Amino acid sequence: MTTKSTYSEQELVALLQQRNDKAFSYLYDNYSGALFGIVNSIVTDREAANDVLQNVFVNIWRKIESYDPSKGRLFTWMLNVARNASIDEVRSKGHRDSQKNQPLPENVDVSINGGAVTNPVTDDVGLRKVLTKLKNEQRVLIELSYFQGFTHEEIAKSLSIPLGTVKTRIRSALIQLRTMIQ
Amino acid sequence: MNVPEYISSGIVESYVLGLASPEERREFEAMCRQYPEVLRARAAFELAFEKQAMENSITPAAGLKDKIFAQIKTPAKVVSMPIKLPVKNTNWLKYAAAACLILLAGSIYWNISLSNKNKQLQSNNEKLQADYETTVAKLGDIEKDLKLIQLNPAVKMASMKGLDPSPASFATVFWDTTSKDAYLLINNLPAPASEMQYQLWALMDGQPIDLGVIDNDVFIKQTRLLIKGKNVQNAQAFAITLENKGGNPTPKGKIYVMGKL
Repeated sequence: MTTKSTYSEQELVALLQQRNDKAFSYLYDNYSGALFGIVNSIVTDREAANDVLQNVFVNIWRKIESYDPSKGRLFTWMLNVARNASIDEVRSKGHRDSQKNQPLPENVDVSINGGAVTNPVTDDVGLRKVLTKLKNEQRVLIELSYFQGFTHEEIAKSLSIPLGTVKTRIRSALIQLRTMIQ
Repeated sequence: MNVPEYISSGIVESYVLGLASPEERREFEAMCRQYPEVLRARAAFELAFEKQAMENSITPAAGLKDKIFAQIKTPAKVVSMPIKLPVKNTNWLKYAAAACLILLAGSIYWNISLSNKNKQLQSNNEKLQADYETTVAKLGDIEKDLKLIQLNPAVKMASMKGLDPSPASFATVFWDTTSKDAYLLINNLPAPASEMQYQLWALMDGQPIDLGVIDNDVFIKQTRLLIKGKNVQNAQAFAITLENKGGNPTPKGKIYVMGKL
């Protein structure tokens, strides 16, 4: 079902909203790899990651109306669909496996003491490769907020760091990330 | 707001990667509409991140595309996972919904019990009101009686002591020397059998004058303090005898109490 044609983002969105199969096929061919990289940076199990990606594309197909171009690029929207679905997967897995039920405090203690972040995701996947270049303190905060989806408030409470400090440190880590990926 | 400072604060990256709070998102979206340079900064980071993600592509399982197409072609009901809020939020909603239900149930229960209580209070209140009116009426009668005997210098009193049949008995007659009316106060008399009745007499020169029978209800209800007897022109003493029901023209039964004026 591979298609050779190319679309502008505007055309692509319009066609997707009309539930056009060819446009959706094009979307998969062009973006599944990038989105799968993002899913894999959060969901460690490859099989589970494939299931998540399947759901991500089904959701893109179904919820394309909720994409608002004024708020960002199509890829940014899809990246957040993928990231949310991945975090959901990790969390629901944590629910099934009661000892991993509260990953935040455990992980944080280990990380703060200078050890590696406990989530056993390989560091060579996507954004995580970049993350290794950050200071450990910043790395932990990105790990918790971006990869594990905790809010700034939750992080501040768990680490006993003022909310403002959490926000500032995450922001400065993000700025460094940007310089690294550009 | 200093726009270059805002752009370099990390908000752009925070927004694009979905880490900004709802409030920060709203503010950022407003800034994008107002300042083209904010919008440009956002677009630049979006492209950079997209490029980075593209460079870090991982090929998914071979049959996945077919599986996805198969799934989107089946009716929505069969699908396993719709887009949902993060688990913690759903939980929060569940708890909130549960809490609402509990509160609602509690509030309904409370309403019902309050309404029951209210009805009960209302009926109690009506009963109390009726009791109060009866009591006030009674008290009015008693006051009237008291005025009659206490504040009137023309009223003379005869204390009638108990005789043989009932030595503990005691009654009082108040006789208004002006109006010639006689009033009886029963201090202590045994209740008569139902076929008998007490009768009040005035004594004048040894002759009994009938002042009437005493209603047996007096001993059951004790409504009035004073019982009005018949009018008598002159009297030296008073007495009560126990007669057959309806009384007699002249006393035939035993004298229970007697006293001089």
